[in-house]
Amino acid sequence: MSVITEATKPGQARTAPNANRLVSTRAGGKLVKDYWDNLFTARDRGATVVWYNGAAINPILQAAGVEWCHGEAFGARLAAMHLEQPAQLAGEAYGYINELCSYARTTLGCALLTKQEATAKIEMDGLPGVPDKEVLASRLPPPDLFVNAYAGCSTGQQWDEVSYRVFDKELPFFKVSYPLLWGNRPDAGYLRGEEWDNASKFVASQLHGLIEFLEHQTGNRFDWEGLRESMHYIKRAAQLRIEALELCKARPTPAVFWDWVASIAPINFLPGNQALVDYFAAVKAEIEDRLRDGVSSLPNERYRLAFDGIMNWNKVGWLANKFAEHDAAVVCGRYTHNSFWHEPQLIDEDDPILGMAQHYLLCPFNHSARNLAEQVLRDCETYGIDGIVFHATRTCRSATNGQLLLAKMAQARGMQTMFFEGDVADESFYKDEVLQNRLEAMLETIDVQRGR
Amino acid sequence: MEQSATINGIIADLAQIAADPGRYASGWKARREGRVVGILPMNFPPEIVHAAGALPVLMQEDDAAITYGRSLLHEFYCGYTRSLVDQAATGKLAGYDGLFLVDHCVALLGAVDAVRFELPEMPVYLAQFMASMDEPTTRPQVGEQIAALRQRLGELCGVSISDAAIQHSIAAYNRNRGLLRKVYDLRRRGRIALGSRQMQVLIKSSMVMDVEEHTAILTKLVALFEAYPQVPEGQVRLHLSGHFCHAPRPELLDMIESCGVTVVDDDVFTGYRYIATDVPDGPDPVEALTQWYFDRNSNVPCSTRAQKTVDWEGYLVDSLKGSGAQGVVVLIAKFCEPHMLYYPELRKALHREGIPHLVVETEHEGLALEMLKTRVEALVEGIRRPRIATAQALA
Repeated sequence: MSVITEATKPGQARTAPNANRLVSTRAGGKLVKDYWDNLFTARDRGATVVWYNGAAINPILQAAGVEWCHGEAFGARLAAMHLEQPAQLAGEAYGYINELCSYARTTLGCALLTKQEATAKIEMDGLPGVPDKEVLASRLPPPDLFVNAYAGCSTGQQWDEVSYRVFDKELPFFKVSYPLLWGNRPDAGYLRGEEWDNASKFVASQLHGLIEFLEHQTGNRFDWEGLRESMHYIKRAAQLRIEALELCKARPTPAVFWDWVASIAPINFLPGNQALVDYFAAVKAEIEDRLRDGVSSLPNERYRLAFDGIMNWNKVGWLANKFAEHDAAVVCGRYTHNSFWHEPQLIDEDDPILGMAQHYLLCPFNHSARNLAEQVLRDCETYGIDGIVFHATRTCRSATNGQLLLAKMAQARGMQTMFFEGDVADESFYKDEVLQNRLEAMLETIDVQRGR
Repeated sequence: MEQSATINGIIADLAQIAADPGRYASGWKARREGRVVGILPMNFPPEIVHAAGALPVLMQEDDAAITYGRSLLHEFYCGYTRSLVDQAATGKLAGYDGLFLVDHCVALLGAVDAVRFELPEMPVYLAQFMASMDEPTTRPQVGEQIAALRQRLGELCGVSISDAAIQHSIAAYNRNRGLLRKVYDLRRRGRIALGSRQMQVLIKSSMVMDVEEHTAILTKLVALFEAYPQVPEGQVRLHLSGHFCHAPRPELLDMIESCGVTVVDDDVFTGYRYIATDVPDGPDPVEALTQWYFDRNSNVPCSTRAQKTVDWEGYLVDSLKGSGAQGVVVLIAKFCEPHMLYYPELRKALHREGIPHLVVETEHEGLALEMLKTRVEALVEGIRRPRIATAQALA
């Protein structure tokens, strides 16, 4: 066993092999950078800008002829680039407490900086060194409209309500509401039962309302053919992504969870077009090449783990290497495998609204624990998982709901589980020693279990 | 003095019930042979449970330290949700025949899911009311959920809930809320010296008791208040704001009032927010209860709802003008996301109006009362000082 027993500190040189990450995902990084760089110039180009949070309603926005800014995605990008501080400082100066959702704190901080840039009037307690336009956090174009479409998290809805107020309650604002997939009735379950059917229709009707709202606000006739076309590409990209995920049933796995994390942004908010399909085709092709050539993600895969919870964006690379050092391949995860157009068969390309509504409902945080277990434990079986790593995401109650229950259900099936503390976009909550110790303990237990 | 002792005796009896709702519920169940249904904050209409012949008990935070509940819900959830789960895990919900909720708070939903996991035999029902009050799809959705609640509660209690029964229950709760508002009115006008601890007892007991029984006691109490007015002793008039879902600790309220303060008003959930709004009259009781949901947020706006046309901060500033409160203590239950999100909007408005305020975060496990007292004293001193300076200038 190649486990390193001394805790390695952030910044120190590593003594064990890093994860052999996919090369093809780098192209996604460029697509995403280009997307944001283009968005930053939206106002200069006279485009209408929608700020939205939650579900991937971007195909609707695309067909409405507007440009879109997904708040969480930008918050995640800042955290992944370690550039979240100016936004979080602005939020703190405005009065947000640090136990508040760090996505919300970060993107509301961006809203404050954007508004300050646009109007030079915002009420904050002496913010030291207010960033100028060169700081990434202050570069979002001011919104013309707000749309909230947040499933599974009351905070997600309330945060846009506050964004609307930060911009003086002057901008048009539409909200899509979702029932939690709770399961009151005995027939309720994943993709089945009367509650699922009713919830799907309820959300679909709101999407039609959103389209009317966008037509009214922009004066543009909604491009239904454009929506069908972008959903055609998204469906194809989603199918390729699912096929590629399934190739990772192989032992050793050719790609890991961290590769799929790198592919979240493209599937979550990039335009539905041929470039998106090409990206996932390339990812799948690289995995096929690896399988053919006998190249694995880890040089010595010894353990196969699942990751539960939302991503710790500050630590993607760090965590990828941390697990690789322990010969632990994180093969699947709720955030990557049970999200982002992951049931493409639901999309009817000719009439995509219902299938879109269903995907929005299938947000991985919009389920009861029972529903979650059905999906996560199924994946554990599919991918041959030895243990589940739970990211106890300090400021994200939607991601942590049900985790302790899920752990008990997994343990009942003989699986090992561990929790580590961290956060989605606030580095201060991450404790490396806790992860190190608990990971080692879990891996040792798996060894003992195997030896019996 | 005799009247004062009578008042104190009545409130002490209610305090015992408010402190141990489970015990009261067991007694009620034995006497009435009815069902006891736990309901969860903050928008559940108790009328619909009452109309089924059951006792609605709005679940309260328990004083006990969190033990077994730790294995079901993370520590970074609010004290209320952690306590609820711990009560389930330690067998304290055994006397309840079901648990019902309509709110969509992410922490509350996680907690109730944990209760469902821990107590698989207990009926747990979510009739989720959409929280966006602006969209036309919300009103019919809420109406459908109330109709579904009616059906499910009828099944649980083995009755068919008639319109007349709901209307009777609506009248009973409106009467009770009206009496409690009368107490608030007397308090705002400085006609009664009722401390915050006592005020909380009146509201909390109304949340857990048989409404007719509570109304009978309250009727007697209001008559005593009106007959024997007392002038409060505190010099600085304050408003308590926030604290959703569960009650702030009474010792915290005592400490605030020990700093020369009279609390004249509040918008806390176990306070005015709970009793501010009556269910309107109307031939269709489901429609009336639906309207009540919307009216509640218009009357006392809440940041758990998403509504463009109302502002909590506007309500707060106006209510201070009405009560003559000179400052605000904002009570935030630690980890309460809707309150943390909205607090800067409150702060902006209070700064704009020149209203002093203090933020206090509360936790389930203990409060640093001495440290908090220094902060309250500083707030009170800040309010007094300009008045002293003005008085000296006039002299």
